[in-house]
Amino acid sequence: MARVLLKNVTKKFEDVIAVNKLNLEIKDGEFMVLLGPSGCGKSTTLRMIAGLETPTEGEIWIGEQIVNEIDPTKRNTAMVFQSYALYPHMTVFGNIEFPLRMSNVPKQERIKKVKEVAEFLGIAELLNRKPSELSGGQQQRVALARALVREPQVFLLDEPLSNLDAKIRTQMRFELKKLLSYDLGITTIYVTHDQVEAMTMADRIAVMNKGQLQQVGTPDEIFYKPSNTFVATFVGSPPMNLIEGDVLKDEKGVFFDSGHFILELPGDVDAEGKVILGFRPQHTEVSIEAREGFVKGKLLGIEKLGVESYGHLVYEDLELIIKLPENIRPSMGEIYWRPRHDRMYIFDGKARNLIYG
Amino acid sequence: MTPKEKERLIKRIWIVITYVVLIGFALVYLMPFIRSLVASFMTWAQASQYPPKWIPSPFTLENYEKLFRLELFPKWVRNTALYSGIIVAGNILFSSMAGYAFARLRFPGRDVIFSALLSLLMIPMFVTLVPNYIIIYKLGLIDNILGLSLLGLVNVSSIFLMRQYFMSLSNEIFEAARLDGCGPIKSFFYIALPLAKPALGAVAVYQFLGSWNAFIGPLIFLRTPEHFTLPVGLSFAFQRAMWTEYTPIIAGSLVASAPTILLFLILNKYLIRGIVITGGKG
Repeated sequence: MARVLLKNVTKKFEDVIAVNKLNLEIKDGEFMVLLGPSGCGKSTTLRMIAGLETPTEGEIWIGEQIVNEIDPTKRNTAMVFQSYALYPHMTVFGNIEFPLRMSNVPKQERIKKVKEVAEFLGIAELLNRKPSELSGGQQQRVALARALVREPQVFLLDEPLSNLDAKIRTQMRFELKKLLSYDLGITTIYVTHDQVEAMTMADRIAVMNKGQLQQVGTPDEIFYKPSNTFVATFVGSPPMNLIEGDVLKDEKGVFFDSGHFILELPGDVDAEGKVILGFRPQHTEVSIEAREGFVKGKLLGIEKLGVESYGHLVYEDLELIIKLPENIRPSMGEIYWRPRHDRMYIFDGKARNLIYG
Repeated sequence: MTPKEKERLIKRIWIVITYVVLIGFALVYLMPFIRSLVASFMTWAQASQYPPKWIPSPFTLENYEKLFRLELFPKWVRNTALYSGIIVAGNILFSSMAGYAFARLRFPGRDVIFSALLSLLMIPMFVTLVPNYIIIYKLGLIDNILGLSLLGLVNVSSIFLMRQYFMSLSNEIFEAARLDGCGPIKSFFYIALPLAKPALGAVAVYQFLGSWNAFIGPLIFLRTPEHFTLPVGLSFAFQRAMWTEYTPIIAGSLVASAPTILLFLILNKYLIRGIVITGGKG
């Protein structure tokens, strides 16, 4: 097991910068999730750690060693691919045994290890089957077993759950987390575009966009202290509402003017001029009667998600989503709302970085 | 008639038309074969009549007897088998290695070399016949099955077929193998080769057919009757100064084509897959 350190890592594909000056440390035994939309450079980062891509600039450390020049066959990292990449011509046993065979482990020991890891992952009865005879979830386990069997220093997973159906995905999420973090305590880097996976599994999340690292932090930090508007809208569902406007100060207090309505801000807000106000749909107060400090809104539609329902409000070109209390019914055309003061965010109007919240 | 019935009727008519056309073409292609089969049981006098006769009378096995009376016939079969065996083995080995390199490895000039190789397909064999002859002659391998085989050990179309096949395999499998500790050579033997069985089957069948029936090459590079292959041997045995005795040649050709027909019946799915592989992904 080992920590992984990326120092100023850049990867260019001809003119495209896939990863731009990335600095990131994954601690020994940590479960790190690289989160971002497709094309943000997260998979490229993973592939550079594995050695399948060579960084254009910068250093990659695994343990106490710079691995830039070390061939992927010798890095002792294991990777689970999105398609699982099982060898179709080998049995499950052959697949799991393969990395051991390649590193010349004696036969008796190979058999012992394969059986152990298969037992551990609950696939012992599948050892004689071919990958094509397995379900998606079983293939997934075989891929995991193949990666685990040689006890790698670093465990890399590239969207491993995205080919599974929703039910198995939820189940595998917990199993993977339990296995890698609690049972084995192995250094894991997990790439996904699914924020739910990131939030539920990660010790820390690194959010990336367009090759740039946006924020690194625990799931709580990412959710409650997003460092900019990208992180704020990418994590959380439905996404955070962002409203452009101006901060106004007078003797009565601090206010936010969106052009459509005016909201009172907490007294300690220290910002001026153009800003972006952010609040999550869940962090609002809603009333069916007019109240002091509440904004009137016309419900355009209601999205029902079982227990929760979300109302869509429109102010000309501005659309907002707020969570509705259970007693608000679709027939009610108008509601009054305001964001909760303790969960308000203010971002810089230009740089879009967090300045309050 | 309801529109549905009408549609069904039109569909049925189309199927009938399709089959009529297909059967027509099949007959056109089969006709020479049927003619050969019938003629092999005729005397030369009857077979050469015009308009052609379709029923052997008298029915004779004389042509086959002549064939099996030939002392060198078994030798020729063995020579042909040896030649085909070497060609098939050589192509499987070398074209899979070359195809793998072109599909999976990155090296400077790869694509240029590959295009150059492909352009060789445009050059007719007669252009290279004389230089090849000189090379084999200088090597002292004229009139030697091994010398002849040397020319066909690897073939551009086999390389192309293998390359296309290797390119169609998922990249992730090779990446996984790399992380599991396979360098390029190990992943060739452990991953690429076992997965390439269908393509290798296609290469083997094509090369077997080509070399078993080869005529021009063996005719030019082999000299003594003991070293002939079957197609050359047959025409040698029954060619007289003024005329050729065709019926024994026909009988011989039928005997000679038996293995290829058998092979086709057993392996035709590989043949078709070979066509699909080369024609599919590009």
